[in-house]
Amino acid sequence: MGSDLFSIGHSALSTSKKSMATTSHNIANANNENYSRQRVTTESGTPISEGDYVVGSGVNIRSIKRTHDALAEKKLNSSISNHEFNKERTDQLTQVEEIFNEINSEGMNKILNRFFNAFRELANQPENEVVRTMVRDNADLVVKDFHRINESITRVKEGIDTKLSRSIEDINQSAEKIAYLNKEIIRLENAGGETGDLRDQRDEATRLLSEYFSVNTYEDEKGQYVVNIANTGSLVAGGAVNRLKAGKVMGSEGKGRDSEGKVDIYFEAQTNLSISDNLKKGKLSALIKTRNEDVEFLRGELDELAHGLAKATNAVHRRGFANKDLPTDQNGNPINDGSAGKVTGINFFKEPLGKDRAAEYIQLSDDIKEDLNNISTALAPNAPGDNRIAIAISKLQHEKVLGKGDTTLEEGYLKAVGKIGLTTAKSKIDTEQTAGILAQAKSIKQRISGVSLDEETANLVKYQHSYDASARVIKAADEMFDSVLGMMR
Amino acid sequence: MTRVSEQSSFHAINHAVGKTKSRLEDLQLKGSNLKRVQKPSDDPIGNTELLSIRSQDVDNEQYGRNISFAKAQLAFTENAVEELTNILSKAKELAIGQSSNFYDADIRKSVAKEVEQLKKQMISIGNRRMGNKYIFAGYKNLTKPFDENGKFLGDEKTTSIEVSKDFFVPISFSGKEVFFPDGETTLADRAPKLPPTPTIDGEEVKEQEFEVNRSLASESEPKPNNAQRNIIQHVQALEDALNTNNPEIIQGLLPVLDKDMDKLVQIRTTIGSTINSIDNAFENIEKTKLLNAEYKSKIEDADVAELFTDLTRQQSTLEATYKASAQLMNKSLMDFMR
Repeated sequence: MGSDLFSIGHSALSTSKKSMATTSHNIANANNENYSRQRVTTESGTPISEGDYVVGSGVNIRSIKRTHDALAEKKLNSSISNHEFNKERTDQLTQVEEIFNEINSEGMNKILNRFFNAFRELANQPENEVVRTMVRDNADLVVKDFHRINESITRVKEGIDTKLSRSIEDINQSAEKIAYLNKEIIRLENAGGETGDLRDQRDEATRLLSEYFSVNTYEDEKGQYVVNIANTGSLVAGGAVNRLKAGKVMGSEGKGRDSEGKVDIYFEAQTNLSISDNLKKGKLSALIKTRNEDVEFLRGELDELAHGLAKATNAVHRRGFANKDLPTDQNGNPINDGSAGKVTGINFFKEPLGKDRAAEYIQLSDDIKEDLNNISTALAPNAPGDNRIAIAISKLQHEKVLGKGDTTLEEGYLKAVGKIGLTTAKSKIDTEQTAGILAQAKSIKQRISGVSLDEETANLVKYQHSYDASARVIKAADEMFDSVLGMMR
Repeated sequence: MTRVSEQSSFHAINHAVGKTKSRLEDLQLKGSNLKRVQKPSDDPIGNTELLSIRSQDVDNEQYGRNISFAKAQLAFTENAVEELTNILSKAKELAIGQSSNFYDADIRKSVAKEVEQLKKQMISIGNRRMGNKYIFAGYKNLTKPFDENGKFLGDEKTTSIEVSKDFFVPISFSGKEVFFPDGETTLADRAPKLPPTPTIDGEEVKEQEFEVNRSLASESEPKPNNAQRNIIQHVQALEDALNTNNPEIIQGLLPVLDKDMDKLVQIRTTIGSTINSIDNAFENIEKTKLLNAEYKSKIEDADVAELFTDLTRQQSTLEATYKASAQLMNKSLMDFMR
């Protein structure tokens, strides 16, 4: 009888101790965001029959489990993917937008405008050398600004490519970690160990992956934990990792400018198949979308603008005559004997070869660079006071020279700026929204799995009391033994 | 009962504080320069409107400069024409005096000297320069338009400039127009014109079309004026007649000189009316400037009252968040268990 009391007291004592240890573990991890609080679950010991009676045999620990809701976790993962997509996109677009921000500074619109007004000034005084210099300087500024924007856009694109390559390292690391944890968890569980902390770590790694793309996770029929990249394929299955790689996809060369230096994402095992376009949500698809859609759109618009400007200016300018004296015949008619060099048909900008890369290649023509007098203002030879070409060029400002002749240069530029502004504004609003949803998802998860210090304090007191009481049980048993032993004296 | 954990309340506080703070930061930035639009995405449509208004403003500034330039040149020209009129009326006076048989050859010779001086003055006016350009030389404005015999060497072209959007005015008067009374230029011809819109199909200007449709603003067709003689030559004729003592020719010259005077007066009227239309254009530009400034301010300037109310409100929100958080974070069951 007495030995029963001892063993019941002992089971209670050790359960209370274990519970207190778990509570302490919870308190220690109260500020660990990735921690799920753990609970000791107990069951009563197998009853023993003593003669006619069945008597309880104390308490046993059934398990120590983490408090976890798979659904809340999935919801959190998808909120992360959504939010990271918008956040990354906003970050990139803000950079792009800044290139076109001329609210507090000079920008293409103003510079283009000054270019045309320089020709208006030249129309006032076509014979004035100083004004010619001004025209050339302003034209040079236009060229430089095209180059500036083009370079800035290229830099954004390169930045995106670098970021893509770096992200892949992170992703592969997380994938390896998940695979390792998968193996550990199975090993420990087979040995009857507790895996709550490892599962927390695995969830954390999965959340990290969710930042990059939308993931699907499940346990297959063999109990293996599988991480799928949504819409694409499996990244981790049990202990196996299907590593990703960033770089040029084989066979993409020679597809023109689009593929030049462009970084794509593919499985290491499948080097010829890009999965870039399949990715949904997350940072990766934000980067790819910004690069392939927004940046390309801007580049196209810019090329169109540079092409339109150069073509239209040249077309008018070629009709003009340079500020050079031609010899005349006896009737006063000018003879173009070549002695004065080129006098007409002069290009102002280098004639663009095509729209492709027009913004990158735009330049003043060599004739204009070499000699200010090649800026043609006159529609007739030997007419230094003739300003008709200068006026015609200045009028190009309001002429519909872009597209199918339905857009002016300024409209074309403002359209591009407006579009990027709208896209950025929308992305910002989306980000704010998904930030709210993410905070909510986090909060739901934390409410379920997070540690509450108040709760743990109460538990601590509770377990302490039960420990005290268990100790009393053992002491009572001891006293009972003493009494029995005392009888023998 | 909703379960509250350390992390969930931490996140809630963090999110609330972060949200309020980022709004506050945005408002503070706007408050620092009182601009509502800081970057395109703040107001994408407003931003593009702003940029196009700014273009208009810069254009108008240039038109303003063009106007000053046009007025200066026109005033300069008018001045010259006025002097020319005075000289011509002096010549006419002398011609009237010498048209009778009252004077003899000697006196006429000395009057002829005076007329020669007048002629020289007229040539010098004809060759007058503004800056480095001869104002009566047409497009050949870097070469002297009149030789010492009063022969006109320039062309009949007129320069036009744009003084407000699509509004062109002629600002130069060719010697052909001013000095040749038989020239067919009338007031109507010189009325300010709109330039025909040049047509460019984006790829290549069709050269033919250019020639036909694109008679540019200031282009005027040359007129066959070979037989014409100019004012200077009329005065020369007077000088010659005086030297040869021929009162009939002098008498015959009187109506010619009258016609010359009429022509000059007509030119001056034209200049006056051109200046008038320029002044009108200028007024319009000023009006547009004012309207644009107002519109621009509407788009880009922050509503100060609203801004600062918002600012104060966000500040108190932040304070309230802090206070509430402090209450929540500083309480613990531990406090009551000593």
